[in-house]
Amino acid sequence: MIRIQHLTHVYPGTRKSPPRTAISDLSLTIGEGEFCILSGPNGSGKSTLFRILCGMTLPSSGSICIAGSDLLKEPAIARAQMAVVFQSPAVDKHLTVRENLRLHADLYGLKGRDLAERLDEALGWTDLKDRLPDKVDTLSGGLARQVELAKCLLTRPKILLLDEPTTGLDPSSRRNFVTALHSIQRGRKMTVLMTSHIFSEAEDADRVAIMKGGQLLALDSPQTLRAGLGREMVVVQSRNPLGLEARIHADLHLRTRRHGEEIRLEETDNGAGLPILEELLTRYRADIDSIAIKQPALEDVFIHLTGKTAQEVESEQLEIATP
Amino acid sequence: MIRVVFALAKREFVRFIRQPQRVIGTVAQPILFWLFLGSGFSSSFRAPGMENVSYLEYFYPGVMLMMMLFASIFSSITIIEDRDAGFLQSVLVAPVSRMAIVLGKVLGGTAIAMVQTLIFTLAAPFLGLHLGLGSLALLIAAYVLTSVGFAAMGFFFAWSMRSSAGFHAIMMVFLMPLWMLSGALFPIERAPGWLHVLMTLNPVAHALVLMRSPFYKTPDALFLDQRYLIALAVTVAWAAVCLLGSMARVEKRERGLASQP
Repeated sequence: MIRIQHLTHVYPGTRKSPPRTAISDLSLTIGEGEFCILSGPNGSGKSTLFRILCGMTLPSSGSICIAGSDLLKEPAIARAQMAVVFQSPAVDKHLTVRENLRLHADLYGLKGRDLAERLDEALGWTDLKDRLPDKVDTLSGGLARQVELAKCLLTRPKILLLDEPTTGLDPSSRRNFVTALHSIQRGRKMTVLMTSHIFSEAEDADRVAIMKGGQLLALDSPQTLRAGLGREMVVVQSRNPLGLEARIHADLHLRTRRHGEEIRLEETDNGAGLPILEELLTRYRADIDSIAIKQPALEDVFIHLTGKTAQEVESEQLEIATP
Repeated sequence: MIRVVFALAKREFVRFIRQPQRVIGTVAQPILFWLFLGSGFSSSFRAPGMENVSYLEYFYPGVMLMMMLFASIFSSITIIEDRDAGFLQSVLVAPVSRMAIVLGKVLGGTAIAMVQTLIFTLAAPFLGLHLGLGSLALLIAAYVLTSVGFAAMGFFFAWSMRSSAGFHAIMMVFLMPLWMLSGALFPIERAPGWLHVLMTLNPVAHALVLMRSPFYKTPDALFLDQRYLIALAVTVAWAAVCLLGSMARVEKRERGLASQP
């Protein structure tokens, strides 16, 4: 459905900054009806990839085939097959819900009975039925997102692209949105590509792609990715992580990874976690704030591959947001 | 494509109507300008060849031009807002012609300007200006043409702007002077040589000729008047160039460097 081959994108430099490579030789194929999550730390190139996929940016080289047509050569044909939900809301706040939907229908040339049918279908899953005459301004963040998704569904897209669609939603709206998205995707057999930092959202995906430095680090089902880490791990929180880590190396000869105040012994064989935990507690009780045995989650896969925790990724985003 | 243009233009208009401050501001400001400046300068003003024309009357078409200028400025600023808010992205990824995106915005701005200037045209009889049907038709054609020119020019400048503050700078140093040097405030004939040249080159000055002449000459006479015909040609060319230029800007997609650094 989406076939990306040898994609490279280099941002032209300016007088002050040299050209910057955002994506280098990336190849990725997403099959029909697949739900794929694209994740990666900031600067990993996922936003650039997203802009290229929705046809707003032309890459330096490579090819992209969307539903059988070449996105770069025939953007209009590819555009008609897909719908995009952007991170910043693409609805007009001054217009009512109905007006927004109508406007979108006009852009895609929908009208008459066909439109009425599609409106019912696109609104069926939402909580918007009583809010059609209200301005989008007056809706909650979660409902405004529903308008956005309903608008996209109006055109019966084969492919749906979403760029961090749950940003700014509270956890319950976020869960509702993702649940609705999954059931719609299954019902309509749409191909979905969604960027996200929220790993709970990725657990239900068919495949998860993790990018870093403009390259694909991993692309697999969440189960396989977790199995790749393979084993359980012991996670230690300490006030003195540096000193503790050094002592674990010296005394026990165990391999560790440190993320902030957290020390992780990732390569622990199944069943070996408990003895190690006991050993650490007897030796270093005074230095340990908390200690636990964890089964690897997707977030741990992400940390393992990119060397960043989700908090770090989020705080980076905050830094960008507040200059 | 016509449907897309109409839908986008309608959106502009609905947004305008829903913001009463904007309606009041854009209608009231030029009228205040007109009444205050017009009345104030009336005693000291004599235009060559228009000796029995009061300044209130002289300034009248100039105020209409100003309404169009402001309507265009406000509709251009909404491009920047649309980009900021995210609405523009959804239009850009839709399978619509790029010309429709430009025309939707431009015709939306034009419609807003038309409502204002048509209301303002009702003041003509009170100035002792009488319009035949033919002249009225020519006048309305001039309104449309000029509004399109202004709105397309605003679009051209606003497209690449990321902040409305930046657009205000363009407006003050470029768009406002175009209006000031159009002959709206003072006649071209008596201006010093360098200013005269600037004013002759200014397409907006030609647009003003189109808007002032129908009040004083019959349509038959106008189509024999060389100055009027030149003004018409220049204004059409100006509007067309601005529209095509805007379309080229929308058409242009961000491009990656061709070779590896």
